[in-house]
Amino acid sequence: MKKSMSTPLDLSRWRKVPLLLTAGGGLVALLGLLVNREQFAFSWLLAFMFFLSLSAGALFLVMAHHLFDAGWSVPLRRFLEHLANLFPWLAVLFVPIALLAPTLYQWMSLDPHLDHALHAKQPLFTRPMFYAVAAICFGVWIFLSNRLRHWSLEQDRSGAALPTHRMRFYSCVGIFLFAITLTLAAIMWMKALQHQWFSTMYGVYYFAGSVWMTLGTAYLITLVLDRQGVLTDTLHDHQYYFLGSLLFAFTVFYAYIHFSQYFIIWNGNMPEETFWYVLREKGTWWWVGMVIIFGHFFLPFLALLRIDVKSMFGFMAPLCGWTWLMHYLDLSFNIMPVKHPDGFVLHWIDLGCWAFMAGLLTMIFLREYGKHPPYPLKDPRLVEAMGFAHPIPTQISGGELDECDDTPAVHPEVQGGRQ
Amino acid sequence: MNNAPKPYGIIAEFRTAADILHAAEKVRDAGYQKWDVFTPFPVHGMDRAMGLKNSKVGWFAFLGGVAGYTTGMLMIWFMNALDYPLVVGGKPMFSPFYAFPPSYELTILFGAFGSLFGMLFLNRLPRLYHPLLKNRRFALVTHDRFFLVIECADPKYSEAQARKLLEEAGSRHIEMVED
Amino acid sequence: MAARATPLTIPEPPAELQRPLLVDNYRSFGWISNRVCSLTEGKAPVWWWVLFIPSVLALGMLLFMLGYQISTGVGVWGNMHPVMWGWDIINFVWWIGIGHAGTLISAILFLLRQRWRTAVNRAAEAMTIFAVMCAGIYPALHVGRVWYDWWLFPIPNSNSIWPQFRSPLMWDVFAVSTYFTVSVLFWYMGLIPDLAVMRDRARTRIRQFAYGLFALGWTGSNRHWSNYEKAYLILAGLSTPLVLSVHSIVSLDFAVSQVPGWHTTIFPPYFVAGAIFSGFGMVLTLLIPLRSIFKLEDIITLRHIDVMCKVTLATGSIVGYAYGMEFFIAWYSGSPYERFAFINRALGPYWWGYWTMIVCNVVVPQLFWFKSLRRNLVVVFIISILVNIGMWFERFVIIVISLHRDFVPANWGYYSPSWVDICTYVGTFGLFFTLFLLFIRFLPMIAISEVKGVTPQSDPHHPLGGAKIKEMALHE
Repeated sequence: MKKSMSTPLDLSRWRKVPLLLTAGGGLVALLGLLVNREQFAFSWLLAFMFFLSLSAGALFLVMAHHLFDAGWSVPLRRFLEHLANLFPWLAVLFVPIALLAPTLYQWMSLDPHLDHALHAKQPLFTRPMFYAVAAICFGVWIFLSNRLRHWSLEQDRSGAALPTHRMRFYSCVGIFLFAITLTLAAIMWMKALQHQWFSTMYGVYYFAGSVWMTLGTAYLITLVLDRQGVLTDTLHDHQYYFLGSLLFAFTVFYAYIHFSQYFIIWNGNMPEETFWYVLREKGTWWWVGMVIIFGHFFLPFLALLRIDVKSMFGFMAPLCGWTWLMHYLDLSFNIMPVKHPDGFVLHWIDLGCWAFMAGLLTMIFLREYGKHPPYPLKDPRLVEAMGFAHPIPTQISGGELDECDDTPAVHPEVQGGRQ
Repeated sequence: MNNAPKPYGIIAEFRTAADILHAAEKVRDAGYQKWDVFTPFPVHGMDRAMGLKNSKVGWFAFLGGVAGYTTGMLMIWFMNALDYPLVVGGKPMFSPFYAFPPSYELTILFGAFGSLFGMLFLNRLPRLYHPLLKNRRFALVTHDRFFLVIECADPKYSEAQARKLLEEAGSRHIEMVED
Repeated sequence: MAARATPLTIPEPPAELQRPLLVDNYRSFGWISNRVCSLTEGKAPVWWWVLFIPSVLALGMLLFMLGYQISTGVGVWGNMHPVMWGWDIINFVWWIGIGHAGTLISAILFLLRQRWRTAVNRAAEAMTIFAVMCAGIYPALHVGRVWYDWWLFPIPNSNSIWPQFRSPLMWDVFAVSTYFTVSVLFWYMGLIPDLAVMRDRARTRIRQFAYGLFALGWTGSNRHWSNYEKAYLILAGLSTPLVLSVHSIVSLDFAVSQVPGWHTTIFPPYFVAGAIFSGFGMVLTLLIPLRSIFKLEDIITLRHIDVMCKVTLATGSIVGYAYGMEFFIAWYSGSPYERFAFINRALGPYWWGYWTMIVCNVVVPQLFWFKSLRRNLVVVFIISILVNIGMWFERFVIIVISLHRDFVPANWGYYSPSWVDICTYVGTFGLFFTLFLLFIRFLPMIAISEVKGVTPQSDPHHPLGGAKIKEMALHE
């Protein structure tokens, strides 16, 4: 399958797209800020939460790779590390939200003595704490992603075992910090739009959607890098198969989380919880909810059910693009009903903010990716990822991959010999 | 009564997974159809070495699952909304939400039946009599030996050729099995 | 884009990062069959009788207690207003939670390609089935009039009223019975090739007949293996959402209500994580002694124990996140009832239950961060028992503490179990251990053909090469 697409595509005419997106989107967003400040704030938040998903998901995948001592995902780890290292830029992109917070968050302009739901949340729901939480979250994320990439690049030079141990250490500590900070971020930046509402599942909910969409993105990036010959030598069909399987798993996981949240609130039928969903069943929001049920779950679920489709690129590439659309709609379903309670609106400022961030972050990502080796050159598990060694025999279970080619045609020289 | 034993096939013993895999590739390339490989555990890559197609078990499981989900939803709708509607807890007579958990369980239950019984059906099991099971040496197949059997019913079968092929493949022990 | 970099030579991993073998000491295929099958052959050892006889006695006590409860009524339990769910539901959730590790090991780890699972999955699945049997007793009994249990099934009855599917009780019926059935199917399917091993080794007529019958005429044909492996994969794929759904549905028994401390959206995944956590505790409790007694150190290696400790640590931490989240949202919600429920957990009359839970489930497993402790069998064994205790207390906290003080102080009360509760619970251990001891006596407690499949010589493409290692083992 891969052999047939060995000639790299000419991507030169796409090279200007990120710049155009940044400039065009930036202009539209700026215009939006001047024309309609409130709409701009919501549009910006939506776009921001979307791209935050990507970096958070990438950071999670990198940490999961180390925690599981995985082998197959080594070639993908470098671009995931770069995606996670967009956090400093996301912190910059957070500035407009920090400035426009009083426009976005109703609770900021309420008197806690007159509002019980707000009063109960003192001192977390005060302005200083809002900024402190943001600082802590970004501090943790920047620190973790920076350390993980640092040691990964260090291993490119030395090939020693120490960086692996360091990365494992940061992942062990990091997964705790990540769980807490991502939950706080989802609560403070999204759930707090309606501060009266509460759900213990919310952090997990944002996490599930984020990782789902990141997996789709990772599949696409792998595909492009493979096609361009950058990763070709380090990949074989397993990477696509496993990424597809994980995408399938997170399709189900997201649905499980969202269904559980909805179902428990539906059954409990308590007004202090149901109002959140009642708002989201009004007007065209009801249809958005249907699109999420069928498009975020049923379509990818049924599409990915078969084993072989996970390495059919013509099929998977559109599906991965679809994850972006669905995740955007899902976040819109969370954020926008506060601004547009009557129904779904796709505002031109939404598009501007999204395009600006997409272009800017893509440019930074490409620059970073070009600066460093394209995959962890001397990772001890690389040889496994390439399929040249089966350290644990028949790692692939169930004969499920006998259909695709998982035994390399040519064995490379292995230093030191494995006889 | 004709009690003369009919030959069933020729059986060749191998000692390692790599040997049997390469032998299977040779037999496949020689164009035999009614032949099989017997191993103590599933050997990785053997399906390709034998030229087997993807197993059909998935369809049984899928159809079982669809049947289970439909059964669950229809059953609950019939019982709670059509045949004997009762207002309980202010909830609608029928809603896909509350009907989901039992329907989901039935999906899995029927899907599991589909996969196990589909597997048994495709393998024509249980089959308590098999000519190979009479062979004393063949009992080692569940222990640590690997066997390749070419049946006499194969259109290309000729004992001399089959024996030669299996000897070339490296078998140290070849014998005939009777039906 | 970066320049194309082709590694023609691949560095050898540093020695400390080499992956260890799953079966130690390069054991041959024959050794694995002999080692595992010999456990079921010959006379039962003395220790087996020493354990079996008390188990059967405890089982007898269980039967007596059930008879007493059925003939007298649920009043013999300690359940009393306002705590109408007591040890019955605690033990139901506890036992069924223990079962979950078996399915996690057999299904989820299979999908995650964690091949170490082959050494422990058979025993863990057996544990699942027996634990679900123990669990199933409680809901069947706590309805009070056991002879009406059949009303729970969609069977037409003389009143022509159908079961009420808006009730979580019905979801439980479907979830638990499906779980039991599918677990048995999955377990039996895994057993088929191993029963054929037993059949081919059997020397007595009875064994030949019994194993031969249940092996269904398995020959090890690759055409059969091909369908078998696909079916196994699909069953794993079906059991994974099943195991998630079963404990999720158990959690819905609580969460769809409006009781403070029960109605919270994180319950489904939190229950699932807790179930797997407790199940791994039980797997470790069972396997650490068995591994030593049966000399299975080459199959269940220290690395297996190490990995299971890590799973325990991970699930324990997820449970810790859920505890934290519940507390946080109780505060965040501003609901006075929610806030009271949680303060009452930590500082109320049952504070000891709450803090036992926190210490055993959240604090103690953190010791597994240290490799030396993960490889110290005594420490692991003690911690695994603490995990079991902690998870029992979790259900105690959720059920008893949430119920004993709800909305109206006039309704408050204090719950204590009766002697029947305690004896029934002890009796379920009798049932569990009777079945488990019979299992290790008559069936292969290690998945023989699967373990053969993870040895280096089993893989024709393995760089170590098949033949060489096999000969080494033969000369031993």
